[in-house]
Amino acid sequence: MALPVEEETQAPKQNPMESVPTGVVVTVATALLAGIVGLLLHGVLGWILVVVIAGGAAYVASTITGAATQDESGHAAHFLKLLEGGGSWEDSPPSGFSHAWKAVYERVNQLELEARTSMRSREELERFHKHADMAVSMIREGKDPLTEVAELRVGPLHGLLESMKEGVITGPLVSRLSLGEEELIGDDALGSPWPKGVPDPTAVERERVRVRSGVRNLVRAIDELVGSVGGGTPASAHGADPSTRTPAQLVDQVVLTAADGIEDLAAGLMRANELASVAERVTNRATLLALNASLEATRSGSEAFAAIAEETRRLAEFAREATDTISRLSSEIEFKVGETITAIHATSEDAKTSLAAYAGSSEPLHAPSVGRSDLESLRQRARQILGVLEDPHETKDTPPLPVSVPGNEDGQGQEVADEGRETASPTQAIVEKGPAAADTLSTEGILLIEGLKPDAHLES
Amino acid sequence: MNLGTRGALTFPLGDYWFAVRVEEAGGVLEADRLAQLPGRTAPIAGLAAFRGEMVPVIDLGAHLGIDTPTRSPRYALVLARGVDRFAILIPEIPKLVPGRALNEAPAPSDPDLGDLFESVLETETDRYYCLNYWRIFESIAPVAPGTASRVPAAVEN
Repeated sequence: MALPVEEETQAPKQNPMESVPTGVVVTVATALLAGIVGLLLHGVLGWILVVVIAGGAAYVASTITGAATQDESGHAAHFLKLLEGGGSWEDSPPSGFSHAWKAVYERVNQLELEARTSMRSREELERFHKHADMAVSMIREGKDPLTEVAELRVGPLHGLLESMKEGVITGPLVSRLSLGEEELIGDDALGSPWPKGVPDPTAVERERVRVRSGVRNLVRAIDELVGSVGGGTPASAHGADPSTRTPAQLVDQVVLTAADGIEDLAAGLMRANELASVAERVTNRATLLALNASLEATRSGSEAFAAIAEETRRLAEFAREATDTISRLSSEIEFKVGETITAIHATSEDAKTSLAAYAGSSEPLHAPSVGRSDLESLRQRARQILGVLEDPHETKDTPPLPVSVPGNEDGQGQEVADEGRETASPTQAIVEKGPAAADTLSTEGILLIEGLKPDAHLES
Repeated sequence: MNLGTRGALTFPLGDYWFAVRVEEAGGVLEADRLAQLPGRTAPIAGLAAFRGEMVPVIDLGAHLGIDTPTRSPRYALVLARGVDRFAILIPEIPKLVPGRALNEAPAPSDPDLGDLFESVLETETDRYYCLNYWRIFESIAPVAPGTASRVPAAVEN
């Protein structure tokens, strides 16, 4: 897609460096010719011929040099306009750009793309713009930017400005960027590069490329989606990707996970019960010891023995209470684990039944039944839009894509979305409203799965 | 009436509670691992080690015809009289009831039961049967001819 720039930037031009020797040759040849004429002809006629020859040669030399200057100035103007407009969407620089121009041109374009996601690139792009403004301002004032502004000597435009400066035979840089060139930096040339009231073709083209890129991404995403749906097998449906699972499978997975966790908990409880049994035996031994001590104290009637026996009995009672507490808690946990397992299984069955009911079928859900044909239609529609975008002359069959003035990118995006809604096909309506079964079932399945969490009321 | 006993060890068997006076009790031990005797009869459960001595253990519930749970662990209440000892198998750790809380009641006079009951001890809420444990033991393991009877003369009389 061609840039809407001036003719001189499109057509190959003579290298400005080659124009200077041509002018010198013309001047020297003219001088020699005038000398020869002066030697051969005498009088007024001779002088007239000399003057005519010199004048014609001067005109030819100035014409050649002027064309070269205009050529270079056109490049500079084009570049500065690109900077003013925020770069170009073209992948390669326009023909006729020298190495220095190309480097800066490509760098600006790259920064323009990266500035959308990178703050650093955005700052560097702003620096480009700032330096371009300063360079233009200096040139407008008839000053050498590299001499007047020290910042430009170390900035990103340094190489370009040096290249421009070295191309000048005599005089400052401004002599290379003639103020007489309206397209360059003449009155209102850079301030408003395009006539007011007419949409900026550069911005329009840029927006067009952006929309085209977005549609390409959309087509690519739809292709991937169609591939994943079409290539789905029962094995892949049970695979590790949660996005490919049905709600019923998700419920099963949650139940299995919960069952595994509860089994681990039950194993821990069994171990705790074993330890509680050991503690109970120890307690029984302590109780026996206390009983035998009390028995001996009773038989002997010794107060001292009775005191020891009493302390032993209290210790045994304390151990007995602790052991009873452990055993009771263990039994309660075991009972609740059993209840939870039962509730999980019951809830999973209820969830599957509910999912099947939402699907309008008594059979459990096994695979996504939505979207294959709809996705195909959507893909064809997107490809059609992309085809129209790539060939702007085929817009008669489809509504034109919205184009906004530069500086309102967010608004443009909204307009694009609105336009897409206006051109909604039945497929698009399905996408917007959502296939009633699958999406709704996913939500319901998630809600049901949420009910399996520990803090949920399983009874309900 | 207070029997003058210092207390009694009480334990349940079936629906009844029995008691052993502390003067007769030698101690309580776990009986979950008894040494088995060859050719033993039903009431003899085995042998237990009590303070360095072998003590025969009899299953009182089996002797009285009372079904008792055979759960483990079980306990053996050792009865001592002089140097003689034997133990009765009981299902749980006995409770020590102080003598001051016990009163004696008349023993059941059932001709069929004979002298099985030695006495009955009562508290305000419970009733415990004291049996002639030594007679029961001798009925199970009779004294060999020429050996002095284990039963004290006072009891015999």
